[in-house]
Amino acid sequence: MRFNIDELEVLFPYPRIYPEQYAYMCDLKRTLDAGGHCVLEMPSGTGKTVSLLSLIIAYQQNSPEKRKLIYCSRTMSEIEKALAELRQLMAFRTEQLGYEEEFRGLGLTSRKNLCLHPSVKREKSGSVVDARCRSLTAGFVKEQKEKGEDVELCIYHENLDLLEPHNLIPPGVWTLDGLLQYGEQQKQCPYFTARRMMPFCNVIIYSYHYLLDPKIAERVSRELSKDCIVVFDEAHNIDNVCIESLSIDLTEDSLRKAARGANNLDRRITEMKASDAQKLQDEYSKLVEGLRGADQAREEDQFMSNPALPDDLLKEAVPGNIRRAEHFVSFLKRFIEYLKTRMKVLHVISETPLSFLAHLKELTFIERKPLRFCAERLTSLVRTLELTNIEDYQPLQEVATFATLVATYEHGFTLILEPFESDTATVPNPVLHFTCLDAAIAIKPVFDRFSSVIITSGTISPLEMYPRMLGFTTVIQESYTMTLARKTFLPMIITRGSDQNTISTSFQVRNDPSVVRNYGNILIEFCKLTPDGVVVFFPSYLYMESIISMWQGMGILDTVWKYKLILVETPDSQETSLALETYRTACNNGRGAVLLCVARGKVSEGIDFDHHYGRAVINIGVPYQYTESRILKARLEFLRENYRIRESDFLSFDAMRHAAQCLGRVLRGKDDYGIMVLADRRFLKKRGQLPKWIQQSLPDSDTNLSVDQATAVAKAFLKGMSKAYPAHLQEGISTWDMDDLRRHQAKMAEEEIRMLRKEAEMRERERVRRRVVEDEEDEYGDMEVDYDDLVPV
Amino acid sequence: MSRLSLKNGAPKEISDEDQCPVCKSSRYLNRNMRFLVNPECYHKMCESCVDRLFSSGPRVCPVAGCNRTLRRQRFRPQTFEDIQIEREVDVRKRVAKVFNRREDEFDSLLDYNNYLNEVEDLTFNLIHKIDVDATEKKLKAYEEANKAAIRENEVLASQETQSLQAQEAAEKEHARLRREAALREAEEERRERAEGRLDVINQLARGEGNADEIARQGRRTLLKKSTARRVGTGDEMDTSDSAGTGLQFKGLRRRARPEPEKPFEPFGEVTVEHEYFVLKGHYAWDFLDTARTSQTYRAGGYDISEYCSRALTDAFAGLAVFVGEEQTAT
Ligand code: SF4
Ligand SMILES: [Zn+2]
Ligand SMILES: [Zn+2]
Repeated sequence: MRFNIDELEVLFPYPRIYPEQYAYMCDLKRTLDAGGHCVLEMPSGTGKTVSLLSLIIAYQQNSPEKRKLIYCSRTMSEIEKALAELRQLMAFRTEQLGYEEEFRGLGLTSRKNLCLHPSVKREKSGSVVDARCRSLTAGFVKEQKEKGEDVELCIYHENLDLLEPHNLIPPGVWTLDGLLQYGEQQKQCPYFTARRMMPFCNVIIYSYHYLLDPKIAERVSRELSKDCIVVFDEAHNIDNVCIESLSIDLTEDSLRKAARGANNLDRRITEMKASDAQKLQDEYSKLVEGLRGADQAREEDQFMSNPALPDDLLKEAVPGNIRRAEHFVSFLKRFIEYLKTRMKVLHVISETPLSFLAHLKELTFIERKPLRFCAERLTSLVRTLELTNIEDYQPLQEVATFATLVATYEHGFTLILEPFESDTATVPNPVLHFTCLDAAIAIKPVFDRFSSVIITSGTISPLEMYPRMLGFTTVIQESYTMTLARKTFLPMIITRGSDQNTISTSFQVRNDPSVVRNYGNILIEFCKLTPDGVVVFFPSYLYMESIISMWQGMGILDTVWKYKLILVETPDSQETSLALETYRTACNNGRGAVLLCVARGKVSEGIDFDHHYGRAVINIGVPYQYTESRILKARLEFLRENYRIRESDFLSFDAMRHAAQCLGRVLRGKDDYGIMVLADRRFLKKRGQLPKWIQQSLPDSDTNLSVDQATAVAKAFLKGMSKAYPAHLQEGISTWDMDDLRRHQAKMAEEEIRMLRKEAEMRERERVRRRVVEDEEDEYGDMEVDYDDLVPV
Repeated sequence: MSRLSLKNGAPKEISDEDQCPVCKSSRYLNRNMRFLVNPECYHKMCESCVDRLFSSGPRVCPVAGCNRTLRRQRFRPQTFEDIQIEREVDVRKRVAKVFNRREDEFDSLLDYNNYLNEVEDLTFNLIHKIDVDATEKKLKAYEEANKAAIRENEVLASQETQSLQAQEAAEKEHARLRREAALREAEEERRERAEGRLDVINQLARGEGNADEIARQGRRTLLKKSTARRVGTGDEMDTSDSAGTGLQFKGLRRRARPEPEKPFEPFGEVTVEHEYFVLKGHYAWDFLDTARTSQTYRAGGYDISEYCSRALTDAFAGLAVFVGEEQTAT
């Protein structure tokens, strides 16, 4: 399908388009034209990704600057999906245009997913893969090899150097799988191929972290130019990603490891002094001169890099008292030792970075400034010492990053020491949380640097919350409704059991037998009436466990068992994926299954239950966060003080976005159908916070149901759904072909003309009116006199 | 206890950490055992050992091979687990007291950094016992030469910490007030909502007008009130905020250097100048010769020139005074 939006020709790889897709594209284009940011909420399953890509690619190919697209997604499977869409789109474009455009699209994920080295790729932990790869690819290792020393290099990495640096892989769109295959064929490293080709790509698809986590962003995304178009997809959780990327937890164990790392460094320094003192001296003189970055820029993969430091600081020279390698190591040791003493305290402490620094200085004479340079100084040292077993220094790096962050930011961070894991624990297991409270800090560089940032998701209501929390302004904020020829999903709110007792998971009543029994009844009824898969979300693992055991006692599970196989999510990801697999099999073979999971768990984020995998989703209770968490409390306070967001507003916003996310799991397209149950009295008041497209299908009559009423409504709905609904009935309403689109565009144009005409008319009238007024005021006629004439020549 | 030791890993580590090297009693037997160290040699021992050994005066450290004499009152609890660091920090304390130059005293950052480097070298030597004598000498010499500057910077530093503490306390107080305000507001809103509902119910009970209409009306007024309040508190917060920052100027230099104190001036800025004579070094008055030569007078502090000056002042004292004027003036 080819059509124009204003003057821009868009090629859309499907013969039909949804009205909301068209609206979405129009708004995207307006945002790009205006050169600003936007927040867009597009119903799940309405082809958001393909609309986004079609429009932006069209925009890109038709503009002389060819603005690069950076598309950020959350998980590897989403990245792969987006790449597949892109590939299809480009194939369509080639076919339609009759020639192949000069185009490159690549995806990037961690080394763990892209490594080909036979032994490295078998490592389980991502950070170990990273570290091992570094020791096989670092610049000095290569130098050593050239000098004839016996060191190991990665051949896949070496082969890259034999190729033209800007043409490591032929043009076109490469999915991650394709990249891996190509790498295997050509014996070249897919990870570095993607990394090095990034400057030459038209589209880059990678995970949030490459842009948000300052430790990675600096390395990976440094070269991206200002006019890039940045898209954050599935961005409803973006504030948490931002916060996590700047938060650090230290434990006694990690401090012990860090201390070991520092001792190793000490040893290495002594060794190097004996064997190659010149290297240390060179580093030292460089630091004295304040020279920096010359060879750092060349190093494509540093040990670590600075976490979000202000630019002026980056240009400053390293303080004199940590210039010498041995001084710096003793500095680190002192700092670690200090942290260890802090861990000894047996009561909870929460303090600001400033007071932490004051106490630190009092006890150890460590000043703020050298602390701030810790991360960078460590990087330099690690490079100078030519360390290969970098993974051993990971905990030390963490401490250095912590040092740098705590000395850099006075505001927006807090330190919380929790000596015990839980309130009932007696054996101390202290954790020092260094928590970022302000999501805006991590994302600020992104907004500062790129002119257009698009934040989009299926559930991102209320829209105004995001600009507020992340500190930016938008050109457009829009939430689209879903155009449906017939209602394919049935949201409803159950507030009472059949016995008319209200149901809620609020703390006072959650363990009430009658509430538990009523929830059990909901489960039984819906398992009975829905075909195939049912997904149930609980607010927390703790509650899920307790309610399941109570159901067991009441015999509810036995009844459910008759209709569905019961599967439960656990915090263990392997067990969970096994449960998911079994669930899918049971849905496929007709046994049907019910999956009990947690609203903030792994299942709720990123696992789709399309079609028969999810015919009903039941949210048991409002998924509030655990409010006794000290970190959450600190964040709530911060939000109130700095962004004027009230505690209750934020908590309820957060709960509802998770609830909406869970609901969205079962509806993955317009041909899909499903029931969405919100089972808690408190949902009644909160329904205004649901995404617009869900609200639109939630009539008042369905918002205050008892269990038996709900069952009746659901039965009727399913009966309707079971009737065949030929596609042609949807045409023109929920899907448009070319003619419908033209008609719509004509209508819009007409509308616009009418508006313009109206405006012109208004203006005309205004002018006439003014004229009249002027005429009236111009009683003496001197308005018409040209004053120049009066000036004597 | 046993669980704790399991958690902490190897049992050897525990005996090391929790056993007194002098009396070999361990924390296992005495839960409240505390360890003390003496900065003389940093050998650790338990509190009861210290009491037992040193209460009758100084004596030699009981640790084999350590021949230092220790005093009871210098024993103190250990701050750091690593005794090396404990000692290092003591050394640093000493050095930091002497070398307390500030960045703004230097012309360039490079100079300051070089100074820091220098000091660190020195500290490092002391800590690792390299060239101790020479380093100590250097330290002493510097201290002697820069007494005044050291003193001054000390004052500055203490002022800085004080102002920092004050600022922190003020911030905490602000936060507390704001938190209370927020709580009060939430409470207020809850109350209003309850009242509003009561209102609606009452109206309904009286049976005035259309029930739906009343309910809707009630909801609307509540909504209005809450938005009004939200706007209102927003403004309030703004002013309180700016007032808060208005008091603490963050970017400003905390304080100017104090003016050097003027010498004490008993006559309050009035200087006495001799208008009518110039004091000479020597007057040939023979009655002064005794005073000039005699040790007895000189030892008492008698000053010839002082005497001459006074005598001459007395002699010319009446010159500028005209009796007539003086009389009319009074
Ligand atoms: S260079 Fe590539 S293939 Fe080699 S170890 Fe690193 S990631 Fe693996
Ligand atoms: Zn003892
Ligand atoms: Zn001793």
